Amino acid sequence: MRQAAGVTAAGIGAANAPQAALLHGAPPPVFERGDGALEIAFDGRPGGLVHLYQRAPARALLPKVPAGQPSEAVLITTSGGLTGGDRMRYRVRVSGGGRALVTTQAAEKIYRSLGPEVDIGVELEVAAGARLEWLPQETILFDGARLARRTRAVLEPDARLLACEMLVFGRTASGERFRRGSLAERWRLERGGRLMWADALGLEGDVAATLDDPFTFAGAAALATLIHAAPDAARHLALAREAAAGLGCRAGASLVNGILLGRLFGPDAALVRAGLADLLGRLRRAASYGHSLPRVW
Amino acid sequence: MTDPEAAALYRLMAWLSPSYPVGGYSYSHGLEWAVEEGLVRTASDLEDFVAAALAFGSGWGDAVLLAAAWRAAAAGDDAGLAAVAELGAALRGAAELALESTQQGQAFLKATLAAWPAPGLAARIAALNAPPVLPVAVGCVAAVHGVPLGPALAAYLQSFAASLVSAGVRLVPLGQSAGQAVIAALEGRVLALTRRAAAAKLEDIAFASPVIDWCAMRHETQTTRLYRS
Repeated sequence: MRQAAGVTAAGIGAANAPQAALLHGAPPPVFERGDGALEIAFDGRPGGLVHLYQRAPARALLPKVPAGQPSEAVLITTSGGLTGGDRMRYRVRVSGGGRALVTTQAAEKIYRSLGPEVDIGVELEVAAGARLEWLPQETILFDGARLARRTRAVLEPDARLLACEMLVFGRTASGERFRRGSLAERWRLERGGRLMWADALGLEGDVAATLDDPFTFAGAAALATLIHAAPDAARHLALAREAAAGLGCRAGASLVNGILLGRLFGPDAALVRAGLADLLGRLRRAASYGHSLPRVW
Repeated sequence: MTDPEAAALYRLMAWLSPSYPVGGYSYSHGLEWAVEEGLVRTASDLEDFVAAALAFGSGWGDAVLLAAAWRAAAAGDDAGLAAVAELGAALRGAAELALESTQQGQAFLKATLAAWPAPGLAARIAALNAPPVLPVAVGCVAAVHGVPLGPALAAYLQSFAASLVSAGVRLVPLGQSAGQAVIAALEGRVLALTRRAAAAKLEDIAFASPVIDWCAMRHETQTTRLYRS
């Protein structure tokens, strides 16, 4: 996957600006800004899908799922990754007692930016009696990446949302670290018209120093967040705490305004990912959300 | 020093002193777990923990919330004040960090309404529309009392740092002079945050302290504990 990322990054440049032109001192290539969008909606009818709109580089695959399992969508960024100035908008809605699980086919790669940010907006809407699982794979911040992502979840009072988010600070498998660049990762979760939980993770400037500080990230190569909003989310706190205490990275769970939160981080991104998958799996089983996580997990 | 300047100082020293009845001495902001885990063993570790809490944890977020609440209350913008209060309560990374700030915010308003009434104070507090976290309560009260924003921010952050240092002095344990030396060493950071927060908007709130959130989460199940966070 790591190698594929490098090939894709070079591939984008090569497609728009032949190497020969660069060698002969031609003006720098003008890259086209990505402006992707994906809207998908599910309800409780068989099949579940009621609306799909997609604009490249955002695309969704809709795998067939066995009867009784939640509808599934697997998102793909067809450009292979995002670069400064790219904009992506996602909107997922579940209503009418529907149950849906949305994940991604691969890790989202955020390439080094020459200035502008990658701008990602995510809107998750879950109506009364419906359930959404928003379980994207990790986002990899290449060194020099600039990412601003806003996720807003709007839930009716008895809606259910299980969501996760994982950031990897550099292509750690090849020894790269996210040393410079910027990150603004914002979350807002509203239920019944009220803001229940918000988060704003920010890294800027000398990112390496902040990641190394023993009381900020303690040298973490990855950070994962798990969010479970449901009328009975508090019931799973003990299980989440117990699971968190036994993972291969620092992890904890807590309840803020009735929202169950989990945090995992550590110097080994693979252990953080394994820990997140473990925690998600246990929560999904305890909450009877499905037999198993999608194969990508 | 003019009389209003001296009055502002007098009030801030009263409201943000450890003897103001908000129970600040009962919270450690996750430090109790950090000491238990062996992450904080010396005065220098304590300084690093508090510096991180100030710049990357609740310190910065609280300062921006205080400034926003101060501006909304000074302008009589009740809708703005309610929005700041709602955001302040939602921006908490763990149950005990929420408890720490909300309980102190409520106690602060109760004590202030009783001892320091001022025209318009009850109306602004009603506008908060929910139990506010401590920085929102302090910003609102300071504005109604005509206390300038800069000194209110510096006093709030000093009290935030001093309260953590005081917990550290008990938990590590350290001598009182060592604790004071940590507070002295943090002055530059507090002043820098004060300057930045006075000009910041709510969108500038950003955290980068998963270690402190983790300490606060793990503290919830710590078997022997003196503190409520």
